[in-house]
Amino acid sequence: MSSTKRYWQDLAQLDQVAEATKGRDDEFRAPMPIDEMLADKGLTGATTGRRDFLKFLGFGLGAASLAACETPVIKSIPYVNKPEEIVPGVPTWYASTYYDGQDYASILVKTREGRPIHIMGNPRHGINRNPRLDKGTINARINSSVLSLYDGERLQGPMMKGAEGMTASTWAEADKVIAGKLAELSTAGKRIVVLTPTLISPSAKAAIGQLRNRFGAKPAAEGQPAASGAPVDHVQFDSISHAGVTKANEKSFGLRVMPSYDLTKADVLVSMDCDFLSSWGSTTEHAWQYASRRRPEDGAMSKHWQFETRMSITGANADERVAIKPSELARSVIGLHDAVARKAGAGTAGGGLDHPQLAAAADALWAAKGKALVLCGSNDEAVQVLVNRTNDLLGAYGSTIDLANHSWFFQGDDAAMAQLVKDMNAGQVGALLIAGTNPAYCLPNAADFKAGLAKVDLTVCMSTHADETASLCQWACPDHHYLEAWDDHMPKVGRYALSQPVIRPLFDTRQWQESLLRWSGATGSYHDLIKSTWEAALAARADAATLPPFNSVWQNSLHDGVYEAYTNANTPVPFAGDVAAAAAAAGKNAAGGEWELVLYTKEGIGDGRHANNPWLQELPDPLTKVTWDNYVLMAPSDMKRLGLQTYLGQESPASVVTVSANGAELQLPVVPAPGQKAGTIAIAVGYGRGANGEKVGKAACLPNADGTATPVGRNAWPFVTLVNGTASMAVGNVAVTPTGTTYPIAITQTHLTHMDRHSVVKETTLSTWAKHDPKGTYNHQHELAVHEDVNKDGAIDARDRLPVKEFDLWEEHAVEGVGHRWGLSIDLNTCTGCGACVTACTSENNVPVVGKDEVRRSREMHWLRIDRYFSSDMTKERAKEEGLGKIEMYLDMEVPSETPRVVFMPMMCQHCNHAPCETVCPVVATMHSNEGLNQMAYNRCVGTRYCANNCPYKVRRFNWFNYLTDKFSATNPAGSELGRLVLNPDVVVRSRGVIEKCSMCVQRIQAGKLEAKKAGTPLADGAVQTACSAACGTGAIVFGDLNDTASRVTKLHGEERAYMALEEIGVKPNVSYLAKVRNIEETAQAHHA
Amino acid sequence: MPRQSRFSFRSPGLFHALFVLALTLTAAPSLAQPADAALYATGEKVFKGNCASCHKPDKDMTGPALKGARARWEGKGDIYAWVRNSTDVIKSGNPYANELFAKWNKALMTPMAVSNEEIDAVLYYADNYAPAAAKAPAAGTPAPAGEPQEVSFWPWVLVIGLLLLVVALSLGGVRKSLNNAVREAEGKGPLPDRTAWQGFKNWVWHNKVFASVLGLLLLTWGITAAWDWALTIGVYGGDTVAHYKPEQPIRFDHTLHAGKADKGNLAINCQYCHSGAEKSKHAGIPSANVCMNCHQAVTESQRNPWSNAEIKKIHEATGWDGMAYTGTPKPIQWVKVHNLPDLAFFSHEQHVAVGKLECQECHGPIDEQMDQAEQWAPLTMGWCIQCHKDKEVKMAGNGYYDEIMARLEKDEKLGHRELKQYLEDEKITVKELGGWECAKCHY
Repeated sequence: MSSTKRYWQDLAQLDQVAEATKGRDDEFRAPMPIDEMLADKGLTGATTGRRDFLKFLGFGLGAASLAACETPVIKSIPYVNKPEEIVPGVPTWYASTYYDGQDYASILVKTREGRPIHIMGNPRHGINRNPRLDKGTINARINSSVLSLYDGERLQGPMMKGAEGMTASTWAEADKVIAGKLAELSTAGKRIVVLTPTLISPSAKAAIGQLRNRFGAKPAAEGQPAASGAPVDHVQFDSISHAGVTKANEKSFGLRVMPSYDLTKADVLVSMDCDFLSSWGSTTEHAWQYASRRRPEDGAMSKHWQFETRMSITGANADERVAIKPSELARSVIGLHDAVARKAGAGTAGGGLDHPQLAAAADALWAAKGKALVLCGSNDEAVQVLVNRTNDLLGAYGSTIDLANHSWFFQGDDAAMAQLVKDMNAGQVGALLIAGTNPAYCLPNAADFKAGLAKVDLTVCMSTHADETASLCQWACPDHHYLEAWDDHMPKVGRYALSQPVIRPLFDTRQWQESLLRWSGATGSYHDLIKSTWEAALAARADAATLPPFNSVWQNSLHDGVYEAYTNANTPVPFAGDVAAAAAAAGKNAAGGEWELVLYTKEGIGDGRHANNPWLQELPDPLTKVTWDNYVLMAPSDMKRLGLQTYLGQESPASVVTVSANGAELQLPVVPAPGQKAGTIAIAVGYGRGANGEKVGKAACLPNADGTATPVGRNAWPFVTLVNGTASMAVGNVAVTPTGTTYPIAITQTHLTHMDRHSVVKETTLSTWAKHDPKGTYNHQHELAVHEDVNKDGAIDARDRLPVKEFDLWEEHAVEGVGHRWGLSIDLNTCTGCGACVTACTSENNVPVVGKDEVRRSREMHWLRIDRYFSSDMTKERAKEEGLGKIEMYLDMEVPSETPRVVFMPMMCQHCNHAPCETVCPVVATMHSNEGLNQMAYNRCVGTRYCANNCPYKVRRFNWFNYLTDKFSATNPAGSELGRLVLNPDVVVRSRGVIEKCSMCVQRIQAGKLEAKKAGTPLADGAVQTACSAACGTGAIVFGDLNDTASRVTKLHGEERAYMALEEIGVKPNVSYLAKVRNIEETAQAHHA
Repeated sequence: MPRQSRFSFRSPGLFHALFVLALTLTAAPSLAQPADAALYATGEKVFKGNCASCHKPDKDMTGPALKGARARWEGKGDIYAWVRNSTDVIKSGNPYANELFAKWNKALMTPMAVSNEEIDAVLYYADNYAPAAAKAPAAGTPAPAGEPQEVSFWPWVLVIGLLLLVVALSLGGVRKSLNNAVREAEGKGPLPDRTAWQGFKNWVWHNKVFASVLGLLLLTWGITAAWDWALTIGVYGGDTVAHYKPEQPIRFDHTLHAGKADKGNLAINCQYCHSGAEKSKHAGIPSANVCMNCHQAVTESQRNPWSNAEIKKIHEATGWDGMAYTGTPKPIQWVKVHNLPDLAFFSHEQHVAVGKLECQECHGPIDEQMDQAEQWAPLTMGWCIQCHKDKEVKMAGNGYYDEIMARLEKDEKLGHRELKQYLEDEKITVKELGGWECAKCHY
């Protein structure tokens, strides 16, 4: 029934606003200024006559030809001693681990001639591995991190703060001064503090231990008098705090940890404002677990409720989504708890919110007892205690929640951090050694921190950039990029992982653990320390005698990237929390007011540490499709009420409002966000880096016309408040005032996307799907009437119809059944919209970054985009049911729902077998291969752009500029000498004036075929992966050979849900989509909201 | 090594020749060649294909020189039988055959499947053999060996052209005097004195057809010459241009290292040094440590006067002081010889490991003739795709291609149609499997 649901791309389209939709149908909106040029009076007075012009032309041609005759002299310098593992031209892969305090993943790093160029998830090992598909799950932040290595604004050596600011120093000097000062402080008994994000490295902790051994107070023992010394403390500070969760677990179970969740076991999943797919907990693990329960073909599909304020990507994927205010969250959790408790016959807390969806969720949870899970994103300890109790009543512990194999992530303690700032201001801290975190930027009370920093005797920052914190410290001792460093990790109980250097340090940097060891006077490197830590840990095990020799364990771990030591039995721990106290406390913490604000992290920039990464800056936000900025998200109804501009586009800038709360104030543009709870706003943190001119990476700032640079976005961290000892991202009593000014926003949403057609996205409900009648219900076949008696009823009429695929305008290419036929299958159900495929494609195919101004002009270059479609609740069926007339129906369709449904649709070149682009190219620059690929020969292209005009999917991109020139050096990594090292040498860098588009990673196809030919075996299914399919840990994108009858992609193309986008136009794509299935009741959908 | 055919729009020598012929209307000058050039050429071809590994035309090698063989066998037996299967002739008790057998260390000649005509041709070739040394290429334009030389042609044209000019000028003078004499006799007075240019214009006016044809020919020649020249821009190999042969930091001699052992060379397999050829897109310039595998021991050579100095350069590069490595290497800055444009993807691995091509098919007789590496092939796209059009894919015993064939045979609609088209010339070429498609090399 829902197949005719009407989709709209943005509010402008929904409301049919003429000025905003004007020009949308034009692929290239900027007209050529021909009239302007001809009107130029100067032309007639030009001194260059026709004859002169011809002379110049002739001379130019001649000169160019002669110049071309010069024999090239290109030097080629081979190794003197070639490393055994390197063959020039052949990539070498290393297993390593990404961890930055927020994201964690086992990864594989692709290096070419010794330089890392691409990162993918480790398909064989690690907690982010999807064992059902042998895929390693990562996100856009992780696979883009390779680019940060080549950031020219990284600190290139130790710096010392003098009278005239930071001056270059040497490591010898730094070590001498810092170690000397530490010894001095130790003698004086002043406190030494090491400040890091959550440290999951046993060896890094051992390095801090060495520091403690050297400078810390030693107790009197073994006949020695107590030596004088200083307390050496380690404070862990997470910018995205989860302290409420860990503290609640301490209260409930006596374990101050984040548990491991197993979403594969969850039949029913209720998320209370928890963005577990993008920013909460172990996201790379959650994503594959969640997706593996979202394919109805693979067993019972899970049912997912989401109660949240802002539309997160988790909420966009939910079956049922309810918008609530942050101040209602605690009461919603109490309501859910009480509903479950009543069923369990346990004590209730009282005072909870009464909502039909809460009741429905509780019913479903109880029905799925033992296979149910409640997650909550609140950082309020009391709320989390109630969630723990609910899960306990549902029998989640021992099943969907594992405390015996808990994770070690998010150990940060907000209270300890707050205390540290107080101590600093009180002059009680002797030395502050900061590594891997940037408190002067992302601490809500950054001003206090900065003031305190001046009162600390020794401040050393071991960051990669002279960032907000480092520029205030006495010493900047630059850390390696993680691809240059050794490290180990313990993500979970019994699970270990290694990071290894894949390139020599580019600059004179030193990893911070190594620095600690040098200052502690330890001999041996950090690498040695990791080995000895591991050896000791293995020797200490009870079964040490049965283990293989350490060297072989080490070598295997280095090869695999992980060491999986043991797994405990998942035995439930009895709940020991105080429900009544928690309920009482939880109710108190919710501040309301006219406006409420939630802070969140965007998929690209995270907490701000990736602001220097242009790939991530240009990655469109999954829901708003805005690049290069942060902004205020507001419900469209609220925007209309305040008289703000709801139609954003190239010529329609966003209205700016002033947001003030907690004494902080920001001016930000407003972006309409369907799904946002009315009366609330949301702002992304992580922006406004380098606001005081700190060098935090070129991409963190946008160049102005006058040569200055403005930070991208504004810093929203000051809005964070400390409630009950934990940092809260929800803020009440917010004032929002329109300023009357406007601000241009670069949004990829309103252009280069499909027109409003029903055949683009197909969707259905689980019960409809289960009838297994796709053609009759949600996956109609497109037919055309023909002038012959097809149905043999003796008459030629409208009933004589044939499926579209029977029609051929042109002779078909000899692809089907001949050799290979490459194709993709994209599952709209398992695509979470995260965008890892977009950055993977950018990395693999040398896609240029064009910057905010060009994106604003619809000139972004992404070969792969993710279209996001909101739906409107009004359907033709419902209008009929309710007896609405056509006009009323369409008027109703224009009313945005509070909770629109969302579909994410990755869109790339569909490699049509009847490609409309091929027939219009005047120079045959794009043509079909016998493997079904739509090829693009850049050197033939003369840039007519006819192909882009004729592409029904709008996936062709035109190079308006030479993106290697200075103009783009601030944004495009390939524009700088250093950034160019990240380019994939197997893919040509396109130049100005040519069209480019998805090649289905033809370089990988060619390489895979060559391997098979060399081995003399048929090409195995899965041996070739496109960058997007390899990056997709949820398995939404599957690549393979459609002529291989046993391949996975062939099976998926044959599934009931499979359809081609815009099938009716008959272009016969090699890419098929699997229709979206929602686990909802028919009636629930029809009468939703 | 048989020469690779070249993709070319032109045969410049021929066209120039035709034009000059038309202009001068003289007969082609004769070249100093044997009486029956065709037979000589056939003989040379058969000789190089079958005999050259053991025989030389004019010198003894593994087997005797072939020059005069027919005369030596005159009246002593059937030379045709002897060539085709010498063992039988020896067994038959032919005394001369047995004498030869004994003289040449009782080495049997491999039986040859050749016709009498071919044997005749070979013997004719051997008897009339003129050594290649006589055809030294002109200075500065090292033309590949085996190319027919046109050097001797141009002086003749020049001489004849000058002669004709002298004749034409003197005849013109004579004609003018006669004309004037006639006019004087007729009482008309002498013709107005015209400049050469006026005369030429007058002549054109009176010979419009001839002048037009001549003009057209001139224009065509000009355009063709310009086109030919334009096609050599940026081309540094092939038949029509001087090969790119940069001076290298070390005068490495490929003929010494890779040349045939029977010529006193070392016959090292190409891939001993260019080890990437079978496993990477780059064949690779060997790292200096590979050189040291031998040159740690081989520190001197008498091959060339400069050899010892060049070997020293390797030692310097690797930091070898004769006893140990000093740890201060100086990487060698070779000059790249083969420069494909960045827009073209080329994989050695594909061509060597899968296509099973010999190195010489693209790099020319580098092991036999190039004491300094040079670009032999033009490396133009035309040259690439011509080979892709002609070459048969080596499918036998490769499971990958078995699968491709199985799919073609299984698909009755398009598969059968395609397979039939492929096999029209009884072979499946690279082009037919997609080797002419853009995205096979450009991505």
